[in-house]
Amino acid sequence: MNGADLTGPVVEVRGLTRRFGGVVAVSNLDLDVQRGEVLGVIGPNGAGKSTLVGLISGALAPTAGRITLNRRDITGDSPATRARLGIGRTHQTPRPFEEMTVLENLLLAADAVSRPRSAAQRHKDCTEILGDTGLARDAATRAGQLTLLQRKRLELARALALEPCLIMLDEIGAGLVEAETTELIELVRSMRDHVDATLVIEHVMEVITECCDRTVVLDLGTMIADGPTQQVLADPAVAAVYLGTSASSPSDEKPPVDPTPVSPVGHVVGRLVGTDAATTTPLLTLRDVVVDYGHLRALHGVDLEVNPGECVALLGSNGSGKTTVASAIAGTVALQSGQILFDGEELAGRRPDQISHRGVSLCIEGRRIFATLSVEENLQVAAGDVPRHVIRERLDAVYEIFPILAERRHRSGTAMSGGQQQLLAVARALMSSPKLVVFDEISLGLSPIAVDQLYQTLEVVIASGVASILVEQHIDRGLALASRAYVLSNGRVALSGAASEVRDDPALSALYVGASNTNGGSP
Amino acid sequence: MTSSPPLVLDDPATADRRRSPLGRELAILAAVAACLFLMPYVVDDYALQVGYLILQLAALATAWNLLAGYTGLVSLGSAAFVGIGTYTMAMLDERAAPVWFAIIAAGVVAAVFAAVVSPAMFRLRGLYFTIGTLALAEALRMWMVNARTFNGAAGIYLTGRPPAFYQLYWLVLVAAIGATAVVVVILRRPLALRLNAVRDDEDVAAEMGVRVFRAKLVAFAVSGSLMGIIGAVQALNTRVVVPNGAFGLTWTVNIVLVALIGGLGTRTGPWIGAVFAILLQESLRGYPEIHLAITGAVLLLVIRFAPSGIGGAMADGRRRLARVWRTRS
Repeated sequence: MNGADLTGPVVEVRGLTRRFGGVVAVSNLDLDVQRGEVLGVIGPNGAGKSTLVGLISGALAPTAGRITLNRRDITGDSPATRARLGIGRTHQTPRPFEEMTVLENLLLAADAVSRPRSAAQRHKDCTEILGDTGLARDAATRAGQLTLLQRKRLELARALALEPCLIMLDEIGAGLVEAETTELIELVRSMRDHVDATLVIEHVMEVITECCDRTVVLDLGTMIADGPTQQVLADPAVAAVYLGTSASSPSDEKPPVDPTPVSPVGHVVGRLVGTDAATTTPLLTLRDVVVDYGHLRALHGVDLEVNPGECVALLGSNGSGKTTVASAIAGTVALQSGQILFDGEELAGRRPDQISHRGVSLCIEGRRIFATLSVEENLQVAAGDVPRHVIRERLDAVYEIFPILAERRHRSGTAMSGGQQQLLAVARALMSSPKLVVFDEISLGLSPIAVDQLYQTLEVVIASGVASILVEQHIDRGLALASRAYVLSNGRVALSGAASEVRDDPALSALYVGASNTNGGSP
Repeated sequence: MTSSPPLVLDDPATADRRRSPLGRELAILAAVAACLFLMPYVVDDYALQVGYLILQLAALATAWNLLAGYTGLVSLGSAAFVGIGTYTMAMLDERAAPVWFAIIAAGVVAAVFAAVVSPAMFRLRGLYFTIGTLALAEALRMWMVNARTFNGAAGIYLTGRPPAFYQLYWLVLVAAIGATAVVVVILRRPLALRLNAVRDDEDVAAEMGVRVFRAKLVAFAVSGSLMGIIGAVQALNTRVVVPNGAFGLTWTVNIVLVALIGGLGTRTGPWIGAVFAILLQESLRGYPEIHLAITGAVLLLVIRFAPSGIGGAMADGRRRLARVWRTRS
């Protein structure tokens, strides 16, 4: 088609540069994606990986450089034309057409395929893709009602419906538990037969090592390594900018934490948070909490306790109800029945702002940084209605723990890398001087080295004596920091106890592995 | 994955598209059209006047719904298209063109206008598009007030032989039924998915191969052309066209009101909204302040309790009843 040359590399990128204002996201990049290969692209947050995908898909226009697809220059082509030529992509944050059904999402993409076929055939092909991607049961569901995992599947299914020659997967593994990751790896491998080339951006190293023949590493918009995956990952330079400490010991149960930065700022956090470790009565008690979403029961009577100064891990697979527990505590979802006592006071039925005033702070998945506010303004907003000198004190304390935020205090909150934004989200959660902080999946979508840094900071925060709930999918990370843990399964507490006991409990892995079989149904 | 049968949810947003075959829908529409066609033989002049107003508003809201409800282009420029249709009719009446020709020409001129302004308008997104269309329509009205060519604020008198009122009623009936048929047919085409995709996420739509500009232009031009046709019929009705009437903001506001109350993105919504708005207006003819207050209150109640409009709420209730019926039997 279109006189395309089907022998050379599928995509050739030459001298590609993209600037955002003063920031160079991609700088004079040369890259080939060979026919038949699965190419991994890794690099720290802000390395330019997503920008690269945007430039190839046409969502972004390059500042300079040239892109060819099957030797045809597509630099000046619109995203629609490129999609029609066979470039499919998924998005880091799934963006389905929410008001359309799952099947309609695919039919739309299939409409762009030039191959002549009847409407019935198109329908059949799309249904087949839904089957392959585990969405067969959801064909008639409105896409807006899907869970995160299903949305990720839909992103992939929709890109496949374009019958692409190049498919680009932007962090499709983020937020998946182990069994789901295994399933994803199978899927990516099986796609080899259907597409000419695959480009995978991923922080989940398992996906890279299992799927990618070749891996390139980006840092600050330039390529710092390129070669067979194993060789690249063994490169000490790559470990230094990207993998960090977890590279050498991926299966370590306790992430190695550098103890030096802990002590000097420990007292600073103590100044910030409202600790009350003297009492022994539980700070937070959930009793038989039931939450419904429409006809669907998300929590079937959850009991949970957090003592003052304690860090409790809340674990479980996707859809097990972790985030619902966090939302129930924060007051953003209503309880069907049950009690939430905080400091001896009933929280159920109170508004989120009232709960926040009582000393519960929520640090949520997806960060939700205010883009139009500067870093400092983001922090000030979270402090609430307190005198200016108090805000000043808290800001000083926060800047002492997070020097990078002090450095960027006048920048826009979202003009930082993902890892730095997440630090800002943690800092923001501390600004209201909370007694309890709920950290909801805060390591999502971060590079290994950024996760290490984040967890070092979390350790400081936890050591200061503020009570916390750590919602995590990464079992080892969560259990390393927490003193006790609860494991949720299908809206119930399936396992609880001291962190060390939970870790050794054989039921734990069963809960996680078993999850993938019950998962994937419609809500 | 388990091999359970496909789960079909009764979802209002999507059920609309797969409820019944196209033939049956067009048959229902034809039956409705036949009944309404016979009205002049049955009812008195006043009722026919009311019917004219209802059909006129239903047609306009249906056209706007295609743009705002299905494509996500919330335009406040409706008056521009109505006005262009009105003036096209007036200009052609001066030149003694046949009525049918003038009506079609009004639709064509309005569509061409949509195409001409679209490169500028589609650069604006979301709220900016809305404001842009409002500015466009107001600028056009101001220009018409001052333009010598169209006799300025004094307007133009239609001198051709005036059609009987029942004929006007039939014309507006054809326009309303035609507008609805256009929407019903479009909803069955792949085009509907493209329009919805543009509405839900323009950038991703482009990445899925949708030529966004083209999709928007189709909706903008079809919608504008239908509005132009209604404007032409209205010129025949009023016999005198003036810029502040033909291009008046009242058109724009009423259309939005009717579509919101009836239900955005539903096919019956504009009709329900039009019936409701006109009947309310007629029953409170002597009390304009109360009429405004009640309309405002109804709009607030609808937005609060039935965000998908009266039409959406009724469809919802019907589905719920059907489900109860199924579980009983």
